Amino acid sequence: MNESELQDAVSRLPKRIEPPRDLWPGIEARLWRRRWYWVPLAAAAVLVFLLIARAERSAWDVTALAGRPLIGTTRLAASGRLRVGDWLQTDDSSRALIAVGRIGQVEVRPDTRVQLVVAKANEHRLALARGTIDAKVDAVPRLFFVETPAGTAIDLGCAYTLETDSVGNGLLHVTAGEVEFQTGSHSSRVPLGALAQIRPTTGPGIPYVEDAPAPFVRALIGFDIEQRGTRARAVRTVVALARPHDALSLWHVLQRVDPSQRGVVYDRLAALVPPPPGVTRRAALALESRALEGYWTKIQRIQFRIMVLQGVREIDPRTGLAKP
Amino acid sequence: MSDDLVARAQAGDQTAFRELYRQHAGRVYALCLRLTGDGRDAEERTQDVFVRLWDKLRSFRGDSAFSSWLHRLAVNVVLNERRTTGRRERRGMPAEDPDNVAGAQHAAPLHLNIDLERAIAELPDGAREVFVLYDIEGYGHADIAQLVGIAEGTSKAQLFRARRLLREKLER
Repeated sequence: MNESELQDAVSRLPKRIEPPRDLWPGIEARLWRRRWYWVPLAAAAVLVFLLIARAERSAWDVTALAGRPLIGTTRLAASGRLRVGDWLQTDDSSRALIAVGRIGQVEVRPDTRVQLVVAKANEHRLALARGTIDAKVDAVPRLFFVETPAGTAIDLGCAYTLETDSVGNGLLHVTAGEVEFQTGSHSSRVPLGALAQIRPTTGPGIPYVEDAPAPFVRALIGFDIEQRGTRARAVRTVVALARPHDALSLWHVLQRVDPSQRGVVYDRLAALVPPPPGVTRRAALALESRALEGYWTKIQRIQFRIMVLQGVREIDPRTGLAKP
Repeated sequence: MSDDLVARAQAGDQTAFRELYRQHAGRVYALCLRLTGDGRDAEERTQDVFVRLWDKLRSFRGDSAFSSWLHRLAVNVVLNERRTTGRRERRGMPAEDPDNVAGAQHAAPLHLNIDLERAIAELPDGAREVFVLYDIEGYGHADIAQLVGIAEGTSKAQLFRARRLLREKLER
């Protein structure tokens, strides 16, 4: 066969050759499988994503600010993850910054020991065993909690410094917003520019403003720790020394004082900062929550204006209005 | 006719796609059979081509005839498969293949086609691919070089070799 004959034979080859069997069922089956193959894959991917997301959510980022803090038994070089149950510990030369989920941050000062207790979207909870933290949270109230040996600091949208020793003696200083410190059913509300001393036996003390006179603070401490007999004397001192700026302290004393002294405290509070409309003496002495909340709102607003406008405008501590 | 089928299949109409398969399966199978030299491989590759076609159909813009576009897709599927698996195993034409060929529409004497098909199938892979693409399917050496991944000179050498081997086989 020569080249020409080969080309001639090739040119006569059929362009079509039917497959020996129908291939369509196989094609159709593969297309059908492919149409649904993503379902288990997608389900698996979603599951993996959820597990990862859950694992990620249950851990917070930690950055070493100074020295080499410990997470568990591991020294933190630059950054790491604090997982639920982990303890973060700083020594006298180390500091760390914890990212509180996506809502804020906590700076852990030297000689501090904290544990991540809960890391959920609706609950962010640390335990401060000892030491000092500076917390800044930008979220709706009651998302961030710090447990101490003496009680729990509940964030109401704020920035604050909280220190405690291993027994529970400590101090809460609020620099923005408001914090509630709770020990059992006993609680104190500490607004911007105020402090509260914390004790393991009595929990949160009566809060007071930063510039409260020392004798007034001593009287409050006496009220916090004294027994029934001497406490009455402390109440009289508190009432006598209180200024309009100290209304937030009197508001707390009103709720803790012996019922027989409630009238004296209320009258002093009302004289320093008149109650808002709708708050009656009777309701306040009966500790009706609506009356107390109304009064607190006014006191808190005045305190807020005093602090925020400090150095800009002089605010009347009785009304919260700018002085002419 | 075909344009309408293609448009409907592009829109997801499975009935139209099945009809496209009916119309083009013989052409695709012939190409796969000659390129692979193996009936079973050819069936698998034909199925691969139509599964791939379903994925790629939306990218067909009508710049060329659908049959030409599909033909090119089929060549790529077969050659890619060979490159992927690196399979060089020769299995020879299955017994049913001559019957298939005999059943096809053709004008040449039956025995000659059967002998030629068998001889093509028995060519070495490289020579067979170039021969099928150049002499049967009408591709140029530049295209073949690109499709197969060889130099143009290699394509020409493989064609020369294939023709010589075929002539020798058919003269026996």
